[in-house]
Amino acid sequence: MSLPEEVYHILQKIVGKDYVSQDPVTCEAYYPTGHGKDTGLERLLYEKAACVILPKTTQEVQEIIKVANRFNIPYTPGSTFWFITCQTKAPNSLIIDLKRMNELFIEEKNMYGVVGPGVVYSQLQEEAMKRGLYITVPGGGGQVSVVANLITAGWSPLNYRVGMPSRRILGTEWVLPDGEVLELGSLAMGSNPFWGEGPGPDLRFILKGYSGWFGGLGIVTKMAVKLFPFQPERLKPVGVSPNTMLEFPTQRMRWFNYYMPDSKALVEAMYEIGQAYIGAAITKVPLMWRFVAKANSRGEFWELWNKQLGNIQEFYPAIVRVLLIGYTSEEQLEYEARVLDDIMKEYGGELHRTRQGDESWIKNADSATMWAVTGGYASCAGMIDTVDSAVKGGEYYAKIKRKFTPPLVDDLGEPGWFQMGEFGHMGYLEFLNYWDPDEIEARERVEQWYFDEVPKADARMGIYNLFQCQMIPVLSTVKFGPNHHLWMEKIKNLFDPKHLSNPPAPFEFDEFVKRAKHLKGDWD
Amino acid sequence: MKEMKLEDFKYDMERCIGCGGCRWVDHIYMSGVKYGQRCPSIERYLFNDHLASGRLKIANALIEKRLDYSPYLLEVIYQCHLCGACDVGCKRNLDLEVLSALEGLRVRAVEDGQGPMPEHKVCAENILEKKNRYGGSEKSRFNWMDNKSYPKPEKKNWSELLYFVGCASSFVKKSLAKSTADLLNKMGIGFSVLNEEGSQEWCCGHPLIVTGQIKDVKDIVEHNLKLIRDRGAKTVLTNCAECYKTLKVDYPKIMGFSTEDLGFKVIHLVELIDDLIGKNEIKFNKKVKMKATYHDPCNLGRLSEPWFYWEGERKKYGVLEPPKIFRRGTHGVYDPPRRILTSIPGIEFIEMIRYKENAFCCGFGGGVKEAFNEFAVWTASKRIEEVEEIGVEAIITACPYCEQQFEEAVKRKTLNLKILDIAELIHLAL
Repeated sequence: MSLPEEVYHILQKIVGKDYVSQDPVTCEAYYPTGHGKDTGLERLLYEKAACVILPKTTQEVQEIIKVANRFNIPYTPGSTFWFITCQTKAPNSLIIDLKRMNELFIEEKNMYGVVGPGVVYSQLQEEAMKRGLYITVPGGGGQVSVVANLITAGWSPLNYRVGMPSRRILGTEWVLPDGEVLELGSLAMGSNPFWGEGPGPDLRFILKGYSGWFGGLGIVTKMAVKLFPFQPERLKPVGVSPNTMLEFPTQRMRWFNYYMPDSKALVEAMYEIGQAYIGAAITKVPLMWRFVAKANSRGEFWELWNKQLGNIQEFYPAIVRVLLIGYTSEEQLEYEARVLDDIMKEYGGELHRTRQGDESWIKNADSATMWAVTGGYASCAGMIDTVDSAVKGGEYYAKIKRKFTPPLVDDLGEPGWFQMGEFGHMGYLEFLNYWDPDEIEARERVEQWYFDEVPKADARMGIYNLFQCQMIPVLSTVKFGPNHHLWMEKIKNLFDPKHLSNPPAPFEFDEFVKRAKHLKGDWD
Repeated sequence: MKEMKLEDFKYDMERCIGCGGCRWVDHIYMSGVKYGQRCPSIERYLFNDHLASGRLKIANALIEKRLDYSPYLLEVIYQCHLCGACDVGCKRNLDLEVLSALEGLRVRAVEDGQGPMPEHKVCAENILEKKNRYGGSEKSRFNWMDNKSYPKPEKKNWSELLYFVGCASSFVKKSLAKSTADLLNKMGIGFSVLNEEGSQEWCCGHPLIVTGQIKDVKDIVEHNLKLIRDRGAKTVLTNCAECYKTLKVDYPKIMGFSTEDLGFKVIHLVELIDDLIGKNEIKFNKKVKMKATYHDPCNLGRLSEPWFYWEGERKKYGVLEPPKIFRRGTHGVYDPPRRILTSIPGIEFIEMIRYKENAFCCGFGGGVKEAFNEFAVWTASKRIEEVEEIGVEAIITACPYCEQQFEEAVKRKTLNLKILDIAELIHLAL
């Protein structure tokens, strides 16, 4: 596979010959990786790219896209390639690797950062923290592209205090699928991107859809991102890999781990904390994560886990982890600690020891660790609703998952990972699944869980599943909310009539189900 | 040599999730955009084929015969310092053998008659014929010992400490060999060297090992091991990070046993001095007024953990049976050089931005210096930029090859920056 010679020469002229390659070796290196790997999409949809290009500027991106349109070349953008949808799925595709677009600028006074798509969270966080500011690092990890993540999800336990991540998108530069540049927010009025809305109707949710276009609607080349005031002490990095962390200034930041008597007490305590308007993060801890944290290797994890299995009496241990930060003063932390203690006494929470540092969620988020257990992992659901719904949804998924266990790992009915957002006004659920990707005979069963069973559960329970929202049946059978798939389809046809921007995104799950003979697709 | 077979790492290639652990500095230590990457190869060449995760996909395609050799593929394979930064980054979260797979890829290229690069063959010829990487006369290896204060080759005086001098100190950087020997003499530590005619120290074989020429290196390994064992040495001392890692890690790996079964202990000079500091048996009397930083040589830092021989099977969920000890770069020789530097009066020690297991390579290793000198110097220049950023007068290291690299980079940049081996600095302070 290769691009027509004429196209290749034009691309060379745009970026320089060092920054474009159609060598099969280069293209092979972009084999699909990231979240969603081993769920079948790479097996049935992947087509090796014909060419990879590395633009540096917005103008280069524009010119590349215009060439793609002129010659009908499908293109797939990515910078960290940390999602299965960043794989090329159409023959003779062009990968637009955005890693060179790594400009980072912080406007300290007005508390925002301007990033290119090649900048990852830990980089932005470090620069922000140097200036007494911060952003929330998402579940995707400290290594994900800030831009790519904010136009899809961005969920982090620290959003408890600062709200929906998409709301912090400010002035944005967006190269549309036809190569034209659209500037959002105040960027459209000049060079200052401090404001996100307008001009005219706020277009940010066309940019984002419900949970992203996954490269299906052009390329964001620059984004201003709102930052928040942090506590003033610097966090000191300590330790040698793999045991590294940012040491907390404990007069300003402290983790509290509570073992609750049951899940009801856990949820009620979580709500109470929100009502008391304290805390920086409140998250329920999935049982398996505790064992991952204790183990030094996969072998040791299984040894510990198997040993523990015999001792577990409850359906699942209800552990909640609370982060308190004295943003304004040390006294704030002390006050919040006392309030937390009062709440936990009321609900029977038992305080357990925990390390006082950031191993995850401040600057780092160890998403890769999710693969440490079996080598195969994917969340099948992400839901933004209330904590009650998160619990209800999680318990329902857990119940029906039993039919698929094995091949899915028996996690003792774990109802998923849930956390609070917006001081308790919002809840987030992510439902975790582990399996052995090398069990070839189990592969189809795992895929049936993801693509047949979970969507049906979503429809039954009214779960608006962030991770499956592109699947048409889910959207059309759920009775609430707009039919996003129709809306997205219209937008896609309008902006990208040739469907060249990462086809078939955002409908690749539908395409996959159509091609997979072992899947019924019987959601209706 | 089982550990160097590419097929043995198919699992590791397939189970790479592309998290970028091989690319980014540990996020806890992330300093921002400028020094955020740990891999020189991806920073220089940009395409993912120059990133460990990309190389793993390429290696897998090669095994599955979906990809053929080409001049570009060989460049991709060999434009890597094998500095191990990727391996440490990956193993922060996962149990994948990234570096071993990259080494296996080179072994495979050589087996297939494609590798190494022509420049590596020149070096290999030197080693095989003259027993040193530079092609110098074998007889001249111990010319640095012209001073009578060095130990004489009389068996009765030989102690249990054997100084393995290495090619760089023997042929190019003779002052380092002299400094080391002087230090030992000053401290009254008896030592011997492998300088008997007919059974002399040979090159440790590192240049052959890193370029995948494993079959050729076996005789060298056996020769040096036999001499060391015959000598009855309990401890082998090196002042070269490459020799250190090769003797401690690669010899047991190639011969199929664990480091603890070598029959002798391998130490670097910094460990010896640090031990003496700890026992109050050395005191630095002279002030060396200098604002200095320390560069962690890859082979003394993240790559220097002992080798643990493992043979077994992969079971359900990829669990290894029997359990395997993973080398994650945690127990590299990081603290001894720092304790030495902070013990010397007058030294104001400042850490680099990327240090210890996150240190950026000097650019010499993996055969890059021989085959891709511009890339090697580019990498060294990047490291020197980092040194400039922290505003020090000197960079101290513990490997003659790192020193050579920095000297070249500093010369090209016409900077006024001192580059010293730690042995030379210790000498100044005593």
